[in-house]
Amino acid sequence: MQRGLPMQPTVVLLREGTDTSQGNPQLLSNISACLAVAQTLSTTLGPRGMDKLIVNERGEAQITNDGATILKLLDIVHPAARTLVDIARAQDAEIGDGTTSVVLLAAQLLKEVRGYIEEGVSPHIIMKGFRQATKLAIDRIKELQVTVDKSDPDNFRSLLLKCASTSMSSKLIHSEKPFFSNMVVEAIESLDPDDLDESLIGVKKVPGGGLQDSLLVKGVAFKKTFTYAGAEQQPKYFKDPLILCLNVELELKAEKDNAEVRVEAVSDYQAIVDAEWEIIYRKLQAIEKTGAKVVLSKLPIGDLATQWFADRFIFCAGRVPAGDLRRVVQATGGSVQSTCSDITREHLGTCGVFEERQIGGERYNIFEGCPKAKTCTLILRGGAEQFIEEVDRSLHDALMVVKRAIKNGEVVAGGGAIEMELSAHIRKHALTIPGKQQLVIAAFAKALEIIPRQICDNAGLDSTDVLNKLRMKHATDGKWFGVDVDGPTGIRDNMEAFVWEPSLVKINAISSASEAACLILSVDETIRNPQSEGPNPGPKAPAGTTQRALRGRGRGMGRR
Amino acid sequence: MSAPSIDPNSAVYTTDEYGRPFIILREQGRKTRMNGIEAIKSHILAAKTVANIVKSSLGPRGLDKILISPDGEITVTNDGATILGQMEVEHQIAKLLVQLSKSQDDEIGDGTTGVVVLAGALLEQSEALLDRGIHPIRIADGFERACVEAVKHLDTISDRIEYSKGNTDNLLKTAMTSLGSKIVSKEHQQFAQIAVDAVLTVADLERKDIPFDLIKVDGKVGGSLADTKLIRGVLIDKDMSHPQMPRDVRDAKLAILTCPFEPPRPKTKHHLDITSVEEFKKLQSYEKEKFQDMIQKVKDTGANLVICQWGFDDEANHLLMQNELPAVRWVGGPEIELIAMATQGRIVPRFEDLTKEKLGSAGIVREVSFGTTRDKMLVIEGCPNTRVVTIFVRGSNKMIVDEAKRALHDAICAVRNLIVDNRIVYGGGSSDISCAVAVSRAADEIPSIEQYAMRAFASALESIPLALAENSGLSPIETLTEVRARQLEESNPHLGIDCNGRGHNDMKQQFVYDPLISKRQQYLLATQLVRAVLKIDDVIKSGEADE
Repeated sequence: MQRGLPMQPTVVLLREGTDTSQGNPQLLSNISACLAVAQTLSTTLGPRGMDKLIVNERGEAQITNDGATILKLLDIVHPAARTLVDIARAQDAEIGDGTTSVVLLAAQLLKEVRGYIEEGVSPHIIMKGFRQATKLAIDRIKELQVTVDKSDPDNFRSLLLKCASTSMSSKLIHSEKPFFSNMVVEAIESLDPDDLDESLIGVKKVPGGGLQDSLLVKGVAFKKTFTYAGAEQQPKYFKDPLILCLNVELELKAEKDNAEVRVEAVSDYQAIVDAEWEIIYRKLQAIEKTGAKVVLSKLPIGDLATQWFADRFIFCAGRVPAGDLRRVVQATGGSVQSTCSDITREHLGTCGVFEERQIGGERYNIFEGCPKAKTCTLILRGGAEQFIEEVDRSLHDALMVVKRAIKNGEVVAGGGAIEMELSAHIRKHALTIPGKQQLVIAAFAKALEIIPRQICDNAGLDSTDVLNKLRMKHATDGKWFGVDVDGPTGIRDNMEAFVWEPSLVKINAISSASEAACLILSVDETIRNPQSEGPNPGPKAPAGTTQRALRGRGRGMGRR
Repeated sequence: MSAPSIDPNSAVYTTDEYGRPFIILREQGRKTRMNGIEAIKSHILAAKTVANIVKSSLGPRGLDKILISPDGEITVTNDGATILGQMEVEHQIAKLLVQLSKSQDDEIGDGTTGVVVLAGALLEQSEALLDRGIHPIRIADGFERACVEAVKHLDTISDRIEYSKGNTDNLLKTAMTSLGSKIVSKEHQQFAQIAVDAVLTVADLERKDIPFDLIKVDGKVGGSLADTKLIRGVLIDKDMSHPQMPRDVRDAKLAILTCPFEPPRPKTKHHLDITSVEEFKKLQSYEKEKFQDMIQKVKDTGANLVICQWGFDDEANHLLMQNELPAVRWVGGPEIELIAMATQGRIVPRFEDLTKEKLGSAGIVREVSFGTTRDKMLVIEGCPNTRVVTIFVRGSNKMIVDEAKRALHDAICAVRNLIVDNRIVYGGGSSDISCAVAVSRAADEIPSIEQYAMRAFASALESIPLALAENSGLSPIETLTEVRARQLEESNPHLGIDCNGRGHNDMKQQFVYDPLISKRQQYLLATQLVRAVLKIDDVIKSGEADE
């Protein structure tokens, strides 16, 4: 199926319509695709990075600056470009931050070696070079990283604050950095230090109010559930209450579907009615007897039960979302009960204070001072839903960074400083290597410069100028010099300016970027089966171009 | 046909070595993309358009909008949040503005128009700055610094006002400022009084908590706005179940039931096979017995009024009538709850549980009818829990009633805000002008590019007094410059736009009060929104499904 050689006979090997592309051209075209994707992301990097507004088919809009989110929303189908999406996701899952950098780096690595591929250098030589360079880079990071002394809590806390605020600097909440970084660190500190299970940090979003009105609840909070008449008569404030969590439906009609009764005589009628009431009353009484003052259930609590509890000064909430209930159980102790009988004290949880509070336009049930697991809830406020969504994503990144920092406690300077240093280091090393590897490793060094370069470009600085200054600094002794978007010279010592990032973020970013680049380089043929396009006729691109773009689709054969 | 292939709007466009275009994204051809300055400019345009729509409804002389929903329902309003909420805007950035005004509404309840006008003005100013080549984020940073200055300045020009249960003058004035621009301005005084009374009745002044659930606003078409009144109790849109039942019950003891006046039926699926005549008669007598039994149970507790969530059939109705037990049926859940709270009764789920202690009490329960219509409503007054109030709005047509309700909501919110935080600033644009002056003064001391953005912020702040003056039929620029000059000259931050033509500009003397938190929130929210808009440089939009 080589075009441009019309006289050759065609050997039909694969099914008609199968899309095959191979060889170097395929490799180059994959590289171009990755570059196109990275291009889209590039403007989001750094403290002056911009956001993307992405609208899906249903007209829902998302505004985001998070690399992984953007890639997910873009809905990329190109197979090679999908690799980039995967590494961004992996970075997100593993580290939670640095998703944009990893994609940019991978794309830049490819871009740098593109020329060599065109000249016929074997991809394997390039891959080998990359691996070597990656190892060099990681070793250098480990050598340079600054370990912070955990024994001094004040010092350590300020380190965490700095890491959190570096992670936030490119986001919408940039201007509220001190406020939010404090909040994030407090949230993490309230967790169990051995485990740091961030799923115990609940995030609730309440539209309205300003970003500054966001708050951290040291305990569990969830939105007031749907209640029946009578709920307003229940007490809304308890000190040291016992908390019972149920998975039981407390409604009169509970047995509706499970049984059918044949009534023989009229006199039995009342007996059955009474029996039914008896069932639910017995449940309610059993609950009351446990001494619980707050009753939560995953399933509905009906109006009858609501009023019954109101009569006895017990608070109840039905249809509590499963996740919230789980956090309540973990925080207050106790366990979720599936029956109302045989509940003893150890099944009940407790907390310091329970109350229902107004937050913005909504009422929240808040449990504070929980004895068991350490947990907390972030209540985010903001002018619009998209805002809050983005704040949520930004805080997630920051939380993850802080978590990593606590676990490892080693940091490097951000703002492109570590990349410049690595670049200088690797370049120096490259000169000692004979052969083609030298070129490849030098290319790797050059690719690392994309991070500071892009930060400069996004900030409207002259990147060539700034990079030259940085190279000069790193060639001498300024190993922590990075980009400064605010200052007049454009460079500064980012270690002293407290632009810190956990070194793990960088290690992971560099190794996964180079792995992704290697992966893409090792592909030289794509075979796409026609079936995948059969039921779904694929993109309706402009006529003429699509035909060629999708090569084949029934016509691939006859082209001689 | 090579032209469409190089569509610059297409999402991500590249060609490979052979000049074949890539398909990178799903449905790539349908996605449109806009980026860079072009995207920002188009957002600014959209935001400006929205702001211009609501601009003319700002201030006491602001005009109303008529909005017609798809099913032909008409809303007349000048409440910013309502207008935007009902416009069903499509544009994403415009939607953000709608949410902005909604969040001001949720949080503060008032000043929803102002916040949109301010955000629109800020974006308009930033357009000029973008043209000068200033980086959008630098602009946003500058705005934020300016906002901090403005909020700080608001604190310094604010005044604390005193209020108490007895001294409601100042609260009244705030309510009147909020009502000033609304349709009810004819009955200004009365509505303000109602709003203040309602809030003070339910407010817990010590905890500064105002449970809005306890204020119920109900409306009925007919009468005039002047007939609107505050009922210290509960009003329900129901009447006695039997026309011959007494029209009013004094010293009522209420049995509040959530079970129907019917023989109880098991909820489990059941069958009753009647095989003989005796059986049938037995059933009949059983039913009758049950009815009597129920009524007896109610009577035994000493109740003289039954409020029932469900219905009851004619037979029960008749029996109730005979036993002189007035009853109300089909009372909705929330109303039942409100009645229970007001009368301090308990909601009883079945007759067996009915006891004397569970009854609610009320001074008087009466049925009121209106004009020549046969509509009746039930008023429950003199309740032991005096913290439940109902505002009953009258008006000549539905639109007016609805608008009056919204106006009252705004006024109630304004009063609430004052109780929560008793600091005020003076309205009529005076605080905006004063902040504008303060911000531009601060701008001069800043060495970096943000200076420009701060100046722009100052001129955006002036858009509120400008709109006020324009809407009041004054020459906007002339008035504004005069007031600003006088503010500086007399160093009196209380000078504003004289919208009502009182002949002087001192808002303190005109008693135009705005709660401080409302103004503060306007500045903060608008600045945050503008930051979000300026930060977007890339829009990727999936095409319509039916394209």
